[in-house]
Amino acid sequence: MSDVDTYRAKARAWLQSMAPIYGRDARRGLSEVEDLALARRYQRAKFDAGYAGINWPTAVGGQGLSHLEKVTFDTEEMSFGMPSVYFGISLGMPVPILIRFCEDKAWMRERVIAALKGEEIWCQLFSEPAGGSDLAGLRTRAEQDGNGWKLNGQKVWTSWAQYSDYGVIVARTDPTVPKHKGLTYFWVDMRAPGVTVRPIKLAGGDSHVNEVFFDDVKLTDAQRMSPVGGGFAVAMATLMIERYVATDSAGFGPPLDLFVDLARTCSLYGRPALEDARIRSTIARNYAMRAGLESITTRAMKMMQAGMEPGAEGSLNKLVAVRSRQKLSEMAIDLQGNLGLHFDPHAFVKEDWTASWINAPTGRIAGGADEMLLNTIAEKILGLPQDYRPDKGVPFNQIPA
Amino acid sequence: MSILYDDGQQAIATESRRVLDARMDKDRLLKLLEQQGAWDDIFWKTAVEQGWTALALPEAYGGLGLGLVELGLVAQACGAATAGAPFLTVGDGAAQAVLAAGGDDLKASLLPALASGEKLATVAFAEGNAPLPSLPEARFANGVLTGGKPGVVAGLRADVALVWANHAGQPALVLADLTAAKRTAIDSFDNSRLYADLGFDQVPATLLVDGAPALSLAQTILARMAVVTAHEQTGGAEALLFIARDYANTRKAFGQPIGGFQSVKHRIAELYGLVELARANCIHAAASDGSPDFLKAAAAARLSATEAYDTTARDTVQIHGGIGVTWEAGLHLHMRRARSLAIEQGNMFFWEDLLVSELTGVAA
Repeated sequence: MSDVDTYRAKARAWLQSMAPIYGRDARRGLSEVEDLALARRYQRAKFDAGYAGINWPTAVGGQGLSHLEKVTFDTEEMSFGMPSVYFGISLGMPVPILIRFCEDKAWMRERVIAALKGEEIWCQLFSEPAGGSDLAGLRTRAEQDGNGWKLNGQKVWTSWAQYSDYGVIVARTDPTVPKHKGLTYFWVDMRAPGVTVRPIKLAGGDSHVNEVFFDDVKLTDAQRMSPVGGGFAVAMATLMIERYVATDSAGFGPPLDLFVDLARTCSLYGRPALEDARIRSTIARNYAMRAGLESITTRAMKMMQAGMEPGAEGSLNKLVAVRSRQKLSEMAIDLQGNLGLHFDPHAFVKEDWTASWINAPTGRIAGGADEMLLNTIAEKILGLPQDYRPDKGVPFNQIPA
Repeated sequence: MSILYDDGQQAIATESRRVLDARMDKDRLLKLLEQQGAWDDIFWKTAVEQGWTALALPEAYGGLGLGLVELGLVAQACGAATAGAPFLTVGDGAAQAVLAAGGDDLKASLLPALASGEKLATVAFAEGNAPLPSLPEARFANGVLTGGKPGVVAGLRADVALVWANHAGQPALVLADLTAAKRTAIDSFDNSRLYADLGFDQVPATLLVDGAPALSLAQTILARMAVVTAHEQTGGAEALLFIARDYANTRKAFGQPIGGFQSVKHRIAELYGLVELARANCIHAAASDGSPDFLKAAAAARLSATEAYDTTARDTVQIHGGIGVTWEAGLHLHMRRARSLAIEQGNMFFWEDLLVSELTGVAA
């Protein structure tokens, strides 16, 4: 067995031993508050067992291993339905950025370890009503205020802000220069006076995202994590930090086996549904697509193992997997006819077709909309021209609203 | 299992592409479309000279002892060049069947001749629209074959054919001597494939295997050829992707390259996705040769590569606009090849159903 196989086996054994306490079945029927409390205990267990901060430096409480071990653990963890979702953003982007860009190292170390133990949660305050895909179009402003800064504006779609202790934020500090150049990056205390968090109820019924309002929120200059006007580069670094994340060829929805199991129990015109050509074609096409993504992922892992940079084709995962999960979920509901009208808003997305279907649009928008992913493939991989951008080079305050 | 190509495999990919880039010529291929019974001899001589006919045969029979991964890489280069002779894939398919089920004398007499390109072999399984009928109508008895096979690739020229036949009520694989067969050329949209309807009137043939083992071997051979063809399709699809990209970067309309319009650039980005999925499935399938999952892997490669080639052909012509549909531009070489390869080695209905049968245990 290679080192990574040994690591995988050990991780799986540990996850199996934890699953009865923290896994999908243990979480059934819990309220979100109860689930979060369980999640914090699980995160602490990961920290104690050496599965938190796997690829982070040991000096900040990490394990000092590589991306490969991190992705290996995350991939194994995915199938157990563990409550890791509350820490996904926190440990995925803001905290690694803190490690890299926070100047007060002692304070940083304290925060990082608290986050790794699940005691503190960080959110990422990027998107705004006026700019999601167009991040640099944001309007929240930070103005100099004595030795510090004063923050005003609104963020939106902020995951887990309602449970967050801290956040990282990009704000406009100079509206008189082109939009990318007038931004500065800060961290912010989510309990500070003037911060208001309002959960947004999503189509599926849950509220993991929020609106966050800043009303004369005071920041010290020590909270600044980029040069003044240099925030966009740090924001890009934030988005690049987790380039190699655990992927799921099921698009974070149910596995194809579950569709086959469903089809096995259904009939069409008195014949087994599995004999129906439409069902067979769907299974075959989804299998081929998922097998392709899995082969891409396997090769990416092998490249990392060999110390090489994984190929650009890894960027296809989310685009291809989530939208086909959306269609497959529709078909699974269709297959059940009138029996498919039932809906349990608390069902798990990875084991329930209706939950998978109603939450699929979020997956196609969050973290890069399909259209943005296609632009990235076209421009960065294939070398096609950038879109026409009338706001390019224009001072922000002269761009027509 | 999926792999990273090793240095030797990468060298084969680079070298075969380089040789074909230097020797292939669009105008030569265009002429072949309007002729029956002709193939691109320059390509074929190159293939023989480069040892591609010997690639996947054991050294004991004059081969190079390499495997499906290497053969796939050569096929990918041939696909990119819309290579003008159909003998590689089916030649290997027939040779592998002889290797698996032939007697020592047959192996010793036939395989070195196939490896050296001196003899040409093809595969004739399909009847009607069924790529592998459960009980074929072509009959084998007393050392001779009767009946026929429609639309056999390389059928106009091959010396021997691996034939799927009925032997006393059992399916069987037999090797037929085509010098005694009646060959009727088909007017096809892809004439350099040398398609022919084969008629067998007491044609001498050798029984390789019959009954259940024959079905199993026939499926494996068909899957193997499907994997080689999937590489060829992926090579063609990738070539089209780059043609589309380059055209979109240079052709201007409304004051900018047409690749700046999202309707065009997104279409090309989608093609990239199809090509990469096909490539990934091809690598996985070639590396799964001999594993219990080989049929599934082959089916996945076949389905995604066919989709990739058909779609890139369709969309690349569309992105070119009027120039794309001209004879001279030659995009129709790929369009034609995408369809001919989609039919050779079994249509989509067959592969979808075979895959689902393997996955679920339920037949169509």
